[in-house]
Amino acid sequence: MIDYLTGAIVILAGAALLLPLLQLSKRSSEKLPGYLLSLALGVAMVFLLMFTINPTQVSWSGNLIAPDKLGGIFALVTVGVTLAVALASIDYQKGPSNPVYYSLLAFTALGMVLLAYAQDLLLLFVSWELMSLPTYVLAGFDKKIRSNEASVKYAIIGAMSSAVILYAISLAYGLTGSTQISQVVQQFVNHPTALAGVATLLFVAGFGFKMSIVPFHMWIPDAYEGAPTTISTLLAAATKKAGFIAAIRVLLAITTIYVVTQSPLFTMANVFAVLAVLTMTLGNVSALTQKSMTRLLAYSSIAQAGYMLIGFVAFSNAPGSAAASLGLTGTIFHVINHSVMKGVAFLAAALVAMQLRRSDLKAYDGLARRMPLTAFTLAVAFLGLAGVPPLSGFWSKLILVLSVANGPYAWLALAAILNSAFSLGYYAWLIKRMYIDDPESTEKVKEPFWFVMVFAVMVGLIIGIGLFPQQVISFASSAASSFVG
Amino acid sequence: MSFVLSLLIALPLFATPIVYALFKVNRRLGIYGSLAISTVVVLITAYIFWQVYATPPAPGQYLFQERYSWVSFSYFGLDYLVGTDGLSSPLLFVSALLTVLAIYGSRKLIDHHEAEYYSLIFLFEGAIMGVFSSLNLILFYIFWEVVLIPMFFFIGVWGGPRRKYAALKFIIFTFAGSTVMLLGFLYFYMGMSTPTFDIPAIQTLLLTHQVPVALEYLPLLASFIGFAVKLPLFPFHTWLPDAHVEAPAPISVLLAGVLLKMGGYGFLRISIGLFPNASAEYAWVFLGLGLFSMFYGAVAAILQKDMKKMIAFTSINHMGFVLFGAYATLVSGNLLGIQGAIFQMFTHGLAVGCLFMLSGFIQHSAGTREIPKLKGLGKIMPRTAAILMLGSAAAMGLPPFASFLAEFMVISAGISASAFTAISILVPVLTAGYFLWMIKRTVLSPAEGGHDVHDMGWADVAGFAVFLIPLVVLIVASYLVLTPALPVAQFLKGLAS
Repeated sequence: MIDYLTGAIVILAGAALLLPLLQLSKRSSEKLPGYLLSLALGVAMVFLLMFTINPTQVSWSGNLIAPDKLGGIFALVTVGVTLAVALASIDYQKGPSNPVYYSLLAFTALGMVLLAYAQDLLLLFVSWELMSLPTYVLAGFDKKIRSNEASVKYAIIGAMSSAVILYAISLAYGLTGSTQISQVVQQFVNHPTALAGVATLLFVAGFGFKMSIVPFHMWIPDAYEGAPTTISTLLAAATKKAGFIAAIRVLLAITTIYVVTQSPLFTMANVFAVLAVLTMTLGNVSALTQKSMTRLLAYSSIAQAGYMLIGFVAFSNAPGSAAASLGLTGTIFHVINHSVMKGVAFLAAALVAMQLRRSDLKAYDGLARRMPLTAFTLAVAFLGLAGVPPLSGFWSKLILVLSVANGPYAWLALAAILNSAFSLGYYAWLIKRMYIDDPESTEKVKEPFWFVMVFAVMVGLIIGIGLFPQQVISFASSAASSFVG
Repeated sequence: MSFVLSLLIALPLFATPIVYALFKVNRRLGIYGSLAISTVVVLITAYIFWQVYATPPAPGQYLFQERYSWVSFSYFGLDYLVGTDGLSSPLLFVSALLTVLAIYGSRKLIDHHEAEYYSLIFLFEGAIMGVFSSLNLILFYIFWEVVLIPMFFFIGVWGGPRRKYAALKFIIFTFAGSTVMLLGFLYFYMGMSTPTFDIPAIQTLLLTHQVPVALEYLPLLASFIGFAVKLPLFPFHTWLPDAHVEAPAPISVLLAGVLLKMGGYGFLRISIGLFPNASAEYAWVFLGLGLFSMFYGAVAAILQKDMKKMIAFTSINHMGFVLFGAYATLVSGNLLGIQGAIFQMFTHGLAVGCLFMLSGFIQHSAGTREIPKLKGLGKIMPRTAAILMLGSAAAMGLPPFASFLAEFMVISAGISASAFTAISILVPVLTAGYFLWMIKRTVLSPAEGGHDVHDMGWADVAGFAVFLIPLVVLIVASYLVLTPALPVAQFLKGLAS
């Protein structure tokens, strides 16, 4: 009997391969491929959920796949975001090449699922590429100048990051003679040579591109702005999280070595702490000055990556301690919350861009009177992203900050808290624009069915997890301990 | 297990959508519905207030305690824990009372987006009830932050000409202050050997010396920043005049009468209640800051031309008394300080709430709040002028209003703290000075120009009487507040080792 994970993989691969066939039929409806992919993703999610609740060995995979809860959470989150994107695209994406669009989405989803479970560097790299290559095409799918520019820029930077990862893998294999992550890490920890440090830093850089960590973030605002906004949703809420699972699997295991030199300054925890504070500060400061919604969300997304890194700091600083467990739980929990909050914010921005044909911030003045559901969705998402209780983002930030609140990295906790307060500057300012400022025209704007459904589910998640966080937190906590144990 | 406090928090929260729906049906129905629901809330708080008076909980104990497990995983435990004592029960009562009065006054002063306005008032009330009854630090913080969201919209949507600026300034100031406070809590939690967020549990640990004193300093500083912004204390006060001037009058009542009390409550419940040793060590700093704020608020108030801004600075002056009284007890051991601080929060809410609401009525009928432009109120608007004189008398602490007793108690604790802090006795002189000057210019001056202004009706006079009558009653029956406040004062004083 095949296990649920294999089932999910087969469904996603089938959708990816079979959807383009619809292109051959001249009479098929424009919306059919979107419905088919959503159905496939929905079924795949159910399978992944079954597998996560009751993980079994995957017989065919050898040592390639780690059937743990950690992978399950990331697979569920990324496929869930893809499902939201696919549903919203039913209203958003027009044109004859629809089947190809949805097929590319399916390929990306497949890549992200494999990546979530990968415990071998080669599978990790292959699924990384499987996830990334379709997104280069998708980013340019609008066939407009900006979209194409975004696509090319994203493809070049993406290829570079893949090359960096591959180089790191080759170094790791040269040093340890294995591509199994656990063995590579074991060897790195036992023989912390300078070259192992270099390989580690290359991993940080390679994954950092996808995770949108400063200083590897420059492509993010341009790509998010130029790409169709639904695809920006996918990039910000799903593929970015895939970068995080890769980093958790590879980098968090490497905790005790010093990077490059044996100086106590160059510990992994210090590297992560510096990256975290740079990322959140630069993201927030830049977000404040943006004039376009997609760019603002892009920078806010960068800032959020900085918060997620706090868990890495707590974990690397004292592996096995209570703070480490809190930190990893916080990171996983924030990954879940951020996917929902940023995903729905981007989708709302996509709807505004589609209906009003503009994405500058002026379009959002008085939005509450023109598109009340969209404005409410954005307001809840913004408050959640700022960490205002009792929304889901509050809890994950609380746990992240708690993990470093007392100890050598208390300054990082202070930085995170101040950043959070600072970020409310632009979030509250946008809410002010939507609810208090006057619109240029008071004409009501249509809010299509699938968008509203996706908004309702995701806003429900933000508020629901905020009020009753217990289930999701203990899920994240058990995923964290499945990684440690 | 009792459920009264949960009912008290849940009733306004559930009323939020109900009131919205009522207004969509019919405006009158909405207003009567809002008044009815908020009156029920007052009755519940009155019951709680009476129970706390009739059977005051022993020092360190809380009435109406409820506990449910909320979030817990391997290294983290968080309970929903509420309870009340002589510190919070008067504040619950006065907050509920002011909410009814704000709704009663709003029916004339608010004229657009009424459904949203009244439903947000209930969201605000529910969150406030939560703040004053939480006995868990994270729960406290959550309610504390929820209070900000309706207030942001109140100022931003229903405010005056510069409302957008004032709303943003308000939310950024207070959010920044409270996140720092949260960080202090988290630092404290991670430093304890048996980590907990429950206030009674932490106090038990404190009494058995299981919390290292060194752990108290940073959280005290962090919570000080959070509470000083709310109180507000010089130099963290700059959001307050903007917020007050722009907010509609009923919201100013809630801002001054309820929101500022969160700061005073926080100082007593958390700064002193959880970090007693550090508080005692630095008590003179807080004493000095409170004293300075008292003088600063009074002097700044003299300089104001806008009546509402003047009352806003009066609040800074009056809330300085709260901090001053609380820490005077730590320095001198004189329990009158903390008792007076609790009493002062109660009386200030009513006296200044009355004046703020009045400034809204004056603006509504005279078209201005500028003190130099308001002339001959005594002739033109005799009923308004009478209320203004009575409200001012209450605010400057003239008998037979209970504010006199509250300020008297705080000042006597100040005198026993040191010879220098006895200077606080000059503050009421200044307060009386600017109020009398204001009355001389507005009420007693000869009338000028048009007489097309209209006085308030008797129904409104009755509304204002509700602000003032409890103050007169309480100077006779001060034991209603002071008896349950005594064990709180004893407990807080005894916490420091």
